[in-house]
Amino acid sequence: MFGGLVPESIWNKCVSSLQDELPTQQFNTWIRPLKVDNENATGQLRLLAPNRFILDWVSDKFLHRIEELVSQFASELNDGTDTNIGPGLEVVIDIAARQAVRFQRRSPAAQVSPRVDSTSTQLDAQENGFVNRAAPRNNTNVRNTREPGPAPVRPQGNRDVDVEGSLKHRSFLNEGFTFPSFVEGKSNQLGLAAARQVAENPGGAYNPLFIYGGVGLGKTHLMHAVGNALVDRNPNAKVVYLHSERFVADMVKALQLNAINDFKRFYRSVDALLIDDIQFFAGKERSQEEFFHTFNALLEGGQQIILTCDRYPKEINGLEERLKSRFGWGLTVAVEPPELETRVAILMKKAEQAKIDLPHEAAFFIAQRIRSNVRELEGALKRVIASAHFTARNIDVDLVREALKDLLALQDKQVSIDNIQRVVAEYYKIKMSDLLSKRRSRSVARPRQVAMSLAKELTNHSLPEIGETFGGRDHTTVLHACRKIKQLREEDADIREDVNNLLRSLTT
Amino acid sequence: MSTPLPQQMSLGISLDDDATFSNFYCAPGSQNAQLVQALQTQLLPEGESFVYLWGASGVSHLLQAACHAADKLGVSFQYLPLDELATMSPDSLLEGLDELDWLCIDGLQFVVANPDWEMALFALFNGLRDKGGRLLIAANASPNELPIALADLQSRLNWGLTLSIQALSDEEKLAALQLRANGRGLELGDEVGQYILHRAPRDMGPLFQCLNTLDNASLAEQRRLTIPFVKQVLGF
Repeated sequence: MFGGLVPESIWNKCVSSLQDELPTQQFNTWIRPLKVDNENATGQLRLLAPNRFILDWVSDKFLHRIEELVSQFASELNDGTDTNIGPGLEVVIDIAARQAVRFQRRSPAAQVSPRVDSTSTQLDAQENGFVNRAAPRNNTNVRNTREPGPAPVRPQGNRDVDVEGSLKHRSFLNEGFTFPSFVEGKSNQLGLAAARQVAENPGGAYNPLFIYGGVGLGKTHLMHAVGNALVDRNPNAKVVYLHSERFVADMVKALQLNAINDFKRFYRSVDALLIDDIQFFAGKERSQEEFFHTFNALLEGGQQIILTCDRYPKEINGLEERLKSRFGWGLTVAVEPPELETRVAILMKKAEQAKIDLPHEAAFFIAQRIRSNVRELEGALKRVIASAHFTARNIDVDLVREALKDLLALQDKQVSIDNIQRVVAEYYKIKMSDLLSKRRSRSVARPRQVAMSLAKELTNHSLPEIGETFGGRDHTTVLHACRKIKQLREEDADIREDVNNLLRSLTT
Repeated sequence: MSTPLPQQMSLGISLDDDATFSNFYCAPGSQNAQLVQALQTQLLPEGESFVYLWGASGVSHLLQAACHAADKLGVSFQYLPLDELATMSPDSLLEGLDELDWLCIDGLQFVVANPDWEMALFALFNGLRDKGGRLLIAANASPNELPIALADLQSRLNWGLTLSIQALSDEEKLAALQLRANGRGLELGDEVGQYILHRAPRDMGPLFQCLNTLDNASLAEQRRLTIPFVKQVLGF
């Protein structure tokens, strides 16, 4: 009969051939992610693609060649006794994700020796080993091909969570998000105090803990900090963090696979459930229904729930009233945008974590200009650090200004030729029609030359295009104007000042 | 083999062999040189998990160069040029991609303001972050300049290392053209280069297209690049 190892070996031969035939990048992109399905039906070689995109592409471009190779290798393997191996072997490609989510009870063996697989899907199939991956991060074949040397960093700190009677689940807790790494300020001190209370007394009075506020203000950090504190105190605590969108996606898959009971069992058996951005439940009635019951079960069981949202519960449109009401049962705290001092403190803390010497005045300069949220603040600091690293300079205000110049829109602002003409005409108090006319008097010709020069400097239009917009002049006229103004900027203080003034008003 | 395997994929997914870091011109010590270095190190342990690259030109070249580098490192990755893929269902296209070591998304501007795409990209970002994958995403403008409706996505785009490609001066454009020409065994003198720069569009993309046209014509007619030849071929 057509054994499980036979399709695997046929596929391995196909892979070797395709590796020789295809450019490396094509091979890595399209062929390497394909995996043999261990549940091949008789007379079939079933391959699993990680997503619809790869499936469609491989089916369109490579299936015919794969079929040829399979037919060839199957014939070679067939010793004449197995009628299922031969040119008639059918190649079928499916999506791995459809297989990936399986809700099965773990066998005792699996519990004794849990697999630690950072590539496992949210709800990993323990016994069948199907994982949804294009090319696994821990794939030894991939890593072995690499030259010795730096390798991409792997995720750190994602501990697997064993949930009784169900599945192994990654906690997805970010070890970097702890209480010590959180910077306290007026804007977030209430949220921080509440989070600390919950970490001390999970499942107590502050259940659920509902943290709300704008994007990038540290809600997720606080949530993880509680989770990490719970795990620190009890390493066996089953703490699960996930984004609401993932909850919805998992539930949809569970429904498709007729495994909703396993889904329910899983989420209702954790010690703490941390769901981020629950505003994305809005309008998803089936998910809300399921979450409502999960919520009730956890609350009744004294398990902690922490939720984040971008707004106050009552303000979430498209959310059932009963959920809004329950979200307010515990403690609802707001996180506000950080004030200047907190922003400075956040920058100093981040720099300290990165082992970077950030002078206070440089942090102050950044914090004064990046006011929206902490993510943007962190992004700006990363840029400053990168710039300091690449230029081998110490961080100071000049370096910060330079590194963030486009972020701060200090320059590089795109301007149009039309805008330049208006601003120049206004500056020199001449009419636009004169600027574009054929008049050659000095009072008009010089501003025209300045405008042409600025058009070349500040826009990407070609010289013929610039000439055209100045009354249909030749590109050589533009070239002459640019050279003349360049020369005058070096020799004539008035022109230099005029051009600088115009540049300033056009780019800021 | 009866069916020829595709040499150039019609969706533009295959990488341009010319798109490498070594033939991307940047003056030593310039901001562009810094960003090339940042891109080269993204896949190393000390590299950033998330890099946002933007600029008027050179973006696709750098992204594909980064893909070539990723290929050499042997990491699992995917290059997604959204200008070609924007009409696809984002959920189908992006499903499972958060399992990759590295994802390279080009042309974000083609899908922003589409709620389905924004939500799918937001979920993808979260998935990559949770699973330790890395992301290089690029557009023609900075995150705050794009018309992104989903604030959660916009703030995440600002979270990582944001790099902008600086426009080249005319001298640098000439040097970039000469570097590219040199790579093709074509000699482009200063005078001829200036002649092109003063007449052709000044974006690097069209300038390189001019060079391609000249390269083909030069090969076909077995002529060196002179001003009369350039004038004849490009019709200046």
